[in-house]
Amino acid sequence: MILEVDNIELNFKNKRILSGIYLKAETGKVIAILGSNGCGKSSLLDIIFGNLKPKYKLIRIDNKPILKPLYKTGFIKYLPQYHFIPNGMVVKSAFNMFGVSWDEFASSFNAFKTYKSYSMGKLSGGERRVIETYLALKSKSLITILDEPFSHLAPIHIEAIKTLIEEEKRNKIVIVSDHMYQHIIDSADKIYLLKNATTKEIKNLKELESYRYLNENVLK
Amino acid sequence: MKHLLIFFHFYKTYIAWSFIITLLLGFVDSHYIPAVLTKLFLTVFAWYLTNETASKRKLTFYKNLGFSIQSLFISMFVLDSLLTVFILFLFKLL
Repeated sequence: MILEVDNIELNFKNKRILSGIYLKAETGKVIAILGSNGCGKSSLLDIIFGNLKPKYKLIRIDNKPILKPLYKTGFIKYLPQYHFIPNGMVVKSAFNMFGVSWDEFASSFNAFKTYKSYSMGKLSGGERRVIETYLALKSKSLITILDEPFSHLAPIHIEAIKTLIEEEKRNKIVIVSDHMYQHIIDSADKIYLLKNATTKEIKNLKELESYRYLNENVLK
Repeated sequence: MKHLLIFFHFYKTYIAWSFIITLLLGFVDSHYIPAVLTKLFLTVFAWYLTNETASKRKLTFYKNLGFSIQSLFISMFVLDSLLTVFILFLFKLL
C-alpha cells in the first residue's frame, strides 16, 4: 500500500503553519518526520489521521484520493502526544477493545504483569505511554502514526518499542515523529524534515546539519 | 458486541448528568416530546462543548477504534431518548 499526503495548507489565523507538504509512505517502511518545536509536525499527523481539518489537503492511497477522514476507514491507528485512553478504563479492557493480546504483552513487558486490572489513570505517565504505544502498534491496522513514542520512556522500553516498530512495519506503514532524533534515525527508512512550513526529504543525514536542525558535527 | 461495549463506554461519561435531567423532567411532569427535545438540545450542547474544548482529545480514543463522532452522539441521543421516555412513563404510572 502506498500513502501519499500532498498539497496540505494549514493556517492558524494569519500564520502559515503548513504549505506545499508532500510525503510518501509505503508498507514495510518507517517514515520519520523531524522538525524543531512548533514547526507543525503534530498538526501534520493530526491532519493525516483526520483530527484536524486544513484549508487544503489531498490524501491518496494507492493513487486513489481518500475524501473522508482516514480514521473513519478503520485501518489507521494514531498515538498522539497526549494520553488518549480514558483514565477510568481498565488496562485489560483497553487491550480487549483494541483486539490485542494481554498475555503476549505481559510476557514481553514483565514489569506490567500486575497492572491487568488497574485503571489507566493509576499508571505513571511513562507506563501509560508504553501501553498506548504498544496498542497503537499491535492492533490491526494498515497505517500507524506515532507522535513522540519515545518521550517519557525508560531506555529499556525505548529499545522494546524500537524492536516492535521493526516487527510491525512488515505489514503496515509506520509514520513516526520524535525529538529523540537518534532513535528516529535508527528506526527510519525515510526521513522528512519539516522546515519553513514544508517537507524536505533527507537523503543524507548531514543535510540535517546543513538545514540547521542539528548542530554541526553532532552526527559522527 | 465489542462495538456496543465501546459505545456504552462513551455513553457512561454522560449518563449521570442525563439521568439527573430525566429525574427533573419527571418531577415537573414533562410530556414526552418536550423531554426528547430537551435531550436533543443537551446532546447538541455536549457535542459542541466536546468539540470546542480540550475534551476533544478524548475523542481520539474512539476515532482510533474507527468510530465516527457523529455516529456516537446520534446513537447516544437515540438511546438516551428511549431511556428518558421509559423513565417518564414510570413516573406517570406512580
